[in-house]
Amino acid sequence: MSEFEAVIGIETHIQLNTESKIFCACSTDSWRVPPNTNICPICSGLPGVLPSLNEKVVEKALLLATAMNAEEINIESFFARKNYFYPDLPKGYQISQYDEPLALNGYFEFPMPEGDLCRITIAKLHIEEDAGKTVYKDQQRLIDFNRCGVPLVEMVTGPDFRSADEVAQFLIRLRRLLRWLAISDADMERGQLRVDGNVSIRKVGEDRLNTKTEIKNVNSIANVRDAVQAEIERQIREVEAGGMIEAWTLDWDDERGVLSKMRSKETEADYRYFREPDLLPVQLSAGDIETTATLLPELPLARRSRFEEQYAVPEYDAEILTDERSLSDFFEATVAAHEGDPKRVSNWVMNDVLRLIREEETSAGELGLQPAELAEIISMVEGGTISRSVGKDLLGQVRSSDRSPSQIVEEEGLSQVSDAGELSEVAIRILEANSDKVAAYQAGKIGLIGWFVGEMMKETGGQADPKLAKSLLEDTLDSYSPKS
Amino acid sequence: MAPLEDALPPTPPSESSITPKIFQHLVSLAALELTEQESEYLRRELNQQLQVIRDLESIDLATDLPITSHGVPYSAETRPELRHDRAEPSDKADAILEQAPEVEERFIVVPDIPHTELE
Amino acid sequence: MSAEISELPAHEIVTRLKAGGLTAEAVLEATLERIEAVEGETASLGGDPGDGRGVHAYVSLTVERARAQAQAVDRALEAGDDPGILAGVPTAIKDIFCVSGTASTAGSKILANFVAPYTATPVARLEMAGAITIGKANLDEFTYGSSNESSAFLPTPRNPWSSERVPGGSSGGSAAAVAAGEAALSLGTDTSGSIRQPAAFCGVVGMKPTYGRVSRYGLIAFASSLDCPGPVARNVKDAGLMLQAMAGADPFDATAAKIPVEDYLDQIEGGVRGMRIGLSPDFSRLRYPDPETGELREQALQPEIEKELMKSAERLAGLGAEIVEAVELPNARYGIPAYFVISRVEAASNLHRYDGVKYGYRSEREPEDLFDLYRKSRGEGFGPQPKLRMLMGMYVSGEQYEKRYYERALRVRTLIRGDFERAFEKVDAVLAPTTPTTAFEMGSIFGDSVAMQYADLLTVPANHAGIPAISVPTGMDNLGLPIGMQLMGPDFSENKLLQMAHSLEQPLDSRPTLVKELIGE
Repeated sequence: MSEFEAVIGIETHIQLNTESKIFCACSTDSWRVPPNTNICPICSGLPGVLPSLNEKVVEKALLLATAMNAEEINIESFFARKNYFYPDLPKGYQISQYDEPLALNGYFEFPMPEGDLCRITIAKLHIEEDAGKTVYKDQQRLIDFNRCGVPLVEMVTGPDFRSADEVAQFLIRLRRLLRWLAISDADMERGQLRVDGNVSIRKVGEDRLNTKTEIKNVNSIANVRDAVQAEIERQIREVEAGGMIEAWTLDWDDERGVLSKMRSKETEADYRYFREPDLLPVQLSAGDIETTATLLPELPLARRSRFEEQYAVPEYDAEILTDERSLSDFFEATVAAHEGDPKRVSNWVMNDVLRLIREEETSAGELGLQPAELAEIISMVEGGTISRSVGKDLLGQVRSSDRSPSQIVEEEGLSQVSDAGELSEVAIRILEANSDKVAAYQAGKIGLIGWFVGEMMKETGGQADPKLAKSLLEDTLDSYSPKS
Repeated sequence: MAPLEDALPPTPPSESSITPKIFQHLVSLAALELTEQESEYLRRELNQQLQVIRDLESIDLATDLPITSHGVPYSAETRPELRHDRAEPSDKADAILEQAPEVEERFIVVPDIPHTELE
Repeated sequence: MSAEISELPAHEIVTRLKAGGLTAEAVLEATLERIEAVEGETASLGGDPGDGRGVHAYVSLTVERARAQAQAVDRALEAGDDPGILAGVPTAIKDIFCVSGTASTAGSKILANFVAPYTATPVARLEMAGAITIGKANLDEFTYGSSNESSAFLPTPRNPWSSERVPGGSSGGSAAAVAAGEAALSLGTDTSGSIRQPAAFCGVVGMKPTYGRVSRYGLIAFASSLDCPGPVARNVKDAGLMLQAMAGADPFDATAAKIPVEDYLDQIEGGVRGMRIGLSPDFSRLRYPDPETGELREQALQPEIEKELMKSAERLAGLGAEIVEAVELPNARYGIPAYFVISRVEAASNLHRYDGVKYGYRSEREPEDLFDLYRKSRGEGFGPQPKLRMLMGMYVSGEQYEKRYYERALRVRTLIRGDFERAFEKVDAVLAPTTPTTAFEMGSIFGDSVAMQYADLLTVPANHAGIPAISVPTGMDNLGLPIGMQLMGPDFSENKLLQMAHSLEQPLDSRPTLVKELIGE
């Protein structure tokens, strides 16, 4: 295995989350609608129709190109027709970009789990339209044009990956970034992020690129990893046995979890690209490019490092706190409002807030909980004003109320009882009412302290400071003797 | 003065460049089924047209002469704005489907794509 | 009486309607009567090529639609509402435009059963301006041709001046209908001369606006970088009126210019005093390839056309124009070769969508698989002209030939454009014949694709350059066939061109011969 190394490049197709399609005003969302309902004359390729470019598509593509550190962002780029026959392509050509694309020569850098940085070059980034879908049934094909015309950005990497794990990690990081920048929802199961892989192998130390196979139709990151890994192993076996690698196109069979040689014959692929005459060139001003660069927000990995440094939270925390943008912003706003140890905020956010978000399938931005409110709650718990469990409850109460946390605590008498005198009285009451348990404790069953603390909590409606309660009870029990 | 490309070497007009083999390739690219009579006629006409097209080869073109995609250049004055991103559902989906020769439960139906035999 | 009504200029129909002396319904009736008298056998798929006893301008009539429109116009007039600048004007729409609810066939079997679910922008604008849509005019199949003979709908249109002769093409039906009084206006398209050449052949006015002046949305595409919708009319003022109603930006057409639309009628009778009008030796010399050797030979213009050019120049000079001779346009002669390449590449691609799957013709023979379905449907549905265009398009854009042919042709286009830009530094317009000959006989060159394309020799340079051009009738040849002269001007100079053309036009002073016969004069 160590004699050979894998050489992998991938093409990703990213569906942009604009409201309307790239060349017509149909919606980009047809996830739950019946076939051929989200169509119009333009995206279904009727005679006489013309494309009309959606301005947001250019904006989002430019944003992505900027985030990918593209060295060349073309002020003028051109659409081109890629001509071929296929049932999901109503015009018989796809409007794409060919040799004059939006951007070239970028890179994406990300850490592998083991810590080392991996840098993948982005050779080309261009805009194009998506095709429809076909389903095979009873020796026929059923065609649905709903997806025709959804805007795509295609990114082609260099042959820079050396393992299936690197490919998987790239996709995880890419997906996070796309959502972070609100460019795409990047859900692979919904086809919003699609990947084709090109795999070849060579002897370690060699420079050349050998024949590659193409892997298509893989619909999850885990499957991409498995498919690429399987193909690397197959190629190594083949070459070691003296065979030759042929330029196959391989289909990932989801049900069986294997790659098989693609069944459909492709039409002759001379795409006869030429500039799309129905569209004018995509024009960017130097201003557009500059503005986009300045508007590019702090990206997840940069923020992760900053959180570790600035807030002294461990990498584990920082990773979770930069997974999704609104949560990340929420954390930071809470830290600013809290002015205490950010690690505490981190714990609350990673545990309680994140749990709420997952349960309700929402986001930090839509939770209805203000960072300042969370900061207040945390401060009250840290200061001993309320117990942690009351604090957790408050998270919910504050969301459905106009009142601030401290208002609620006051109005509903939720403060933690930390008055030793008050608690002592309660302690004595409990002991007097339970002489048998007292006797048992004093005889050596010190485990009963838990029960006593529980009683104390009950008596105080959960508001006793548990630590104080415990130590008080212990002291009282030690020195207690029943009134006779 | 900009350097001139060498004019392309002229192809002898007596040689018909579109041989039957090339013609067949074009026909399959164009997804056409033709009768033999049609094929002969079309191939002959194409070669006649090629004679005319070859006139272009003799022109000296400066190497930096750009292409023109549209005769009329577009400027800030004439270039229309890009479309605003707003979804406006069309009411024509049913009318569009009505034009399809074969439809089943709103899918357009076609025969399957040819397959290669699996090993 | 109805004969006169069906021959009224469009602008006069509108005036009379608004003055109250005429109703839209009466105009419609008169037009339908004229159609009844002269149209002859209705064209149909696989119809009889015909015996020349009719004009056969239409593929289909839209009588119900027309009646509803005429009634609406009359109601608006009664109510004192503005019925539009084309109120009540009978208009024929070249059947290359999608009109909602109508068969929009492109003159082809492959779309014979296609009912468009939407209406092309230029048509919608005409209808909104009050025009009455009489029917879909016949055309060369997918606009491929210069004689209208390639239509799948037979019989094909005849030249109203001679039933043995072609009306020109591809907007042959449009020009014939207007010349014969079967419509006052027609919406055509001009890709290499397809409005101007039939207009010249039929003795009417035909204009190719600047590329991008009129929206192409709904125009079944031939060559996307060359196609221009435009007016066919019996006089220049009508052409201007029609252009006024249609021109302007369209959110559905990314190539439709957003430059404001001028008032085309305001100065239209302003005359040509002080205008500089150029004559170009490159439009008086004709270069044809020798059919045997392929060598380019030079040939003079048809003598009557040459004479007509001189007469026209003299007349304009007499009206105060400055005639500038020897305006060089040396690359115009490469117009046809470059056109063979550029238009075919675009056409081949534009024809990809006709596959028997989504609309239109599907072969009834059992296919082996999907690709076989494509091959059979396209093989049976398309006539020879589309096939020629797609095959040539595939050839010259294929990987190995792309630089030699396609890219080269696009650079030659730069040269042609450059010639005109330089010319317009010296003149306001170039005057030239529209066609090398007057209307040729049916069947005389049909089948010879090179000869047929060369009918556009003098018109195609304006298409490459994108500039506007207008053809007007100025006289007749010795056989009594109309001669047309064209004026070509700078980008978006339609108002000036119309003004000059108004001075140039010479209405032919009799009814077209065939029409006279058919209405029993």
